[in-house]
Amino acid sequence: MKLADNPFFVLGVTTEASRIEVEREAQKLLGMLELGFADARTYATPLGPRERTAEMVRAAVAALRDPYRRLVAELWAHHAPAPKAEPPVPEPPAPARAGLRRALGWRP
Amino acid sequence: MADTPLYVGIDLGTTNSAAAVFDGERVSVVRNAQGATVTPSVVRLDKQGRVTVGARARRFLEQDPTNTAAEFKRLMGTGKPIEFPAAATTRKPEELSAEVLKALRQDITDQLNVTIDRAVISVPALFELPQSAATSEAARLAGFGRVELLQEPIASALAAGWRADGDGAGTWLVFDLGGGTFDASLLETRDGLLRVVGHDGDNFLGGRDFDWAITEHLASQLPVVPRRNNPAHAGALRALRMAAEDAKIELSRGERAQVTLAQPLVIDGQDVEVDLELQRATVERLCAPLVDRAIEVCVRLMTAHGLGSGQLARLVMVGGPTVMPMVRARVAARLEATIALGHDPMTLVAQGAALYAATAGLDGRATSIAVPAGRQVWLQYPAVSADLTPHVVGKFIGADPPVKVKLVRTSGGAAPGSPGEDTWTSPDATVGPDGTWLSTVTLLPRRACTFQIEARGAGGEVVIVSPPSLTIVQGLTIGDPPLSRTLGVALANGHVQTYLERGAPLPARRTFTHHTIETVAKGSSDSVLRIPIVQGELSQAHLCRLVGTLDIGGDVVVDTVPTGSAVEVTIELDRGGRLAARALVPAIGQMFEHVAHLLVPDAAPEALDAALRDLRRQLMDARTDAFRHGLGQMIERLDRIESRLSEAERDIDAAHGGDADAAQRARRALLDVDGTMAEAELARKWPELDEQARHAAISASSTVGMYGTEAERVLLQDVLSAIEKARRDRDPAELERQMRLAQRLSNAAFNRTPEAWEWYFEDAASEVSKCRDLPRAQKLVTEGKAAIERSDNAELRRIVKALWQLLPENSEARRKGFDSGVR
Repeated sequence: MKLADNPFFVLGVTTEASRIEVEREAQKLLGMLELGFADARTYATPLGPRERTAEMVRAAVAALRDPYRRLVAELWAHHAPAPKAEPPVPEPPAPARAGLRRALGWRP
Repeated sequence: MADTPLYVGIDLGTTNSAAAVFDGERVSVVRNAQGATVTPSVVRLDKQGRVTVGARARRFLEQDPTNTAAEFKRLMGTGKPIEFPAAATTRKPEELSAEVLKALRQDITDQLNVTIDRAVISVPALFELPQSAATSEAARLAGFGRVELLQEPIASALAAGWRADGDGAGTWLVFDLGGGTFDASLLETRDGLLRVVGHDGDNFLGGRDFDWAITEHLASQLPVVPRRNNPAHAGALRALRMAAEDAKIELSRGERAQVTLAQPLVIDGQDVEVDLELQRATVERLCAPLVDRAIEVCVRLMTAHGLGSGQLARLVMVGGPTVMPMVRARVAARLEATIALGHDPMTLVAQGAALYAATAGLDGRATSIAVPAGRQVWLQYPAVSADLTPHVVGKFIGADPPVKVKLVRTSGGAAPGSPGEDTWTSPDATVGPDGTWLSTVTLLPRRACTFQIEARGAGGEVVIVSPPSLTIVQGLTIGDPPLSRTLGVALANGHVQTYLERGAPLPARRTFTHHTIETVAKGSSDSVLRIPIVQGELSQAHLCRLVGTLDIGGDVVVDTVPTGSAVEVTIELDRGGRLAARALVPAIGQMFEHVAHLLVPDAAPEALDAALRDLRRQLMDARTDAFRHGLGQMIERLDRIESRLSEAERDIDAAHGGDADAAQRARRALLDVDGTMAEAELARKWPELDEQARHAAISASSTVGMYGTEAERVLLQDVLSAIEKARRDRDPAELERQMRLAQRLSNAAFNRTPEAWEWYFEDAASEVSKCRDLPRAQKLVTEGKAAIERSDNAELRRIVKALWQLLPENSEARRKGFDSGVR
């Protein structure tokens, strides 16, 4: 809810986005992630870019459907510094268990 | 039919089941071989082992009850075999449900001439995971390749909302009184999107309670009264209950009904003739308290969401008992709401499930349509969209993809080629070098729109693509299905680590790292690390329900796992609510994923007796205490518990008479009462809790005031207001929840200061003598002191966390945490 996983940052929409715009963006991102679009895999946050997954998109849209949770997310997004969208740092060579960890839903 | 999608929804009910199909524009209810839209959920096995399902089987309920099973849905997930003596065999509840599903699947094939492989099946909102798992298993046994489960109230609302055509904006209440359960759901429709605002229910209230109330009334009129706790009277009561059910249906229209049985009942060796008159007014009087109980649940739900009577936009009635005029009139009057007309309460759930199948893109047809030749393209788009301008995302397979794509709407408006034809073409979308493209389409309201995909190569030449088109239906949608109960892992300290909160969108997956509290020795079959998975809304593990365990035994580990080792546990639920759990132990690089005990616990009548006695004793203590302190609200609450216990007692009586269903009802009722008693206990400690809350508020205000960010300060204001409200309302559960939030904010702010970890260190170091691995703990303390000297906060943090892992857990707490081996 705070910064790195704020639903507005995860979906890449502003806090003014209407409900239908939020749903539309989520639907687009889920499609793009499913088909492996490179630019859908990361999103900008004030703490730097983060990896985006389909689970995070679904959780973000569910959070913004709830008026109270949306309000809290808006509050954090408003008070946050501008998201940093520099290109992601190349991943270090994967350790032996990385695949396994990723399969477990573990975000590297 | 061939190229039209067919979405299938099935309502697998306790008493009756139904199926519906949706072709993108119209929903139709499937009729069975007898021409009826509902099929009784009754299965009979004769001595040749032949299976009869539905109305034909129901006719044998009276004549041949031992070989005819009904209401087995209530035993789903218990694994309890049901005996069929004539065929000398047993069947599990899911196998019987599979027979009902097979029959419905066959009805669809007969009526529409298509074989069905995929469907959406509805389940009660408060189904536990083992029950959902058993439903999926029933579908697999019935030959379905893929199914998704959907909560019944969402299905009803989707079906009711689909037809609302824009005039249904606002808050809706779905009043779903089924055969065995009652569900009330508050929903909101806005911009074509359906949102579940809240849900409440009573797992022990349904049409069967109406039937029993009438049955007991009829029984009391007989010269020899049959009793539910006597197994020898079961046959007589069953016959009387079926007659009561028929009379109840008859009285939905007429003023009086005659209850006459063709054969006399045999009770205690005597022939008892049954010829009684039943009046509508009598039935209404008998059922009114039950209806009021359902209304109370609705009022509670509405109040929790700030709604009073007269503030509902619409009331949707679902389930057989809601056909009774008295039920409709009483509910509408009390809630001051208008009942939505034109919905069939018996098939609304199945219709909603079919609509949801479209939302989930789950075409029911077994064999996919032959894909024409052409350049392959993968597509992602919503099969149903509330949005009039949704996105279509595509990716061409292989090298040298086309460079431009546009989508041409060819149907959805007037017929192609007709004067009023309403075609539409998207702007050109540019295809990326990796073959990906993104386009936006425009839909027509409440229509199924088909779009042709037109692709062009670098030279402007037309490229034939496969599939050549896609269809999107515009209409009400609901997002991902929400999780009905919070899911987590019980810890050795008796608390629960929440993984997925109630309402989390499914599918969902979450990983947390725990630490073992004892060593799992390689090769030792006695040493087992247990990770209990629990469901429930309370933070104490023993008040939640154990739904599965992940055991890591010494006989399967490749190496010894020492105390304090990290265990990364992942819990995953698919869209249908099926659970998968895995544990990775990085120290030995091994993963464990076999979840055991995914069963609803057995309910032996003797164990139920003992639990009932225990709860009665607790209740007496609580009541004495409440009187002593003059807690009026609490006394009322305890009175309600008392009446629940009396109901449970009746069920336990029936359980002694061999009624497994009643035993399960009693088990769940006792568990619920146990939870309520725990809340009552909290209320008893109110003065203490109230004092704690005041301290928590002061402490959080000062910490967040000093170290918090601006956002934390604003959020704390919200929490403080909520604390004040909970104190005013004397709501202990809410107060505890808000105190936890204040504590979390306070911790977040406090942890940001360099002194925080020094303080935690001093605290942990003061208990070093209790640590499990003393030499290691002492070494950590020395390292910690050095880290403070160097002002190395990151190192200090690591050391404190390592020390925490060495501190022991209380054995009582561990027992309450289902013997969890992790912290």
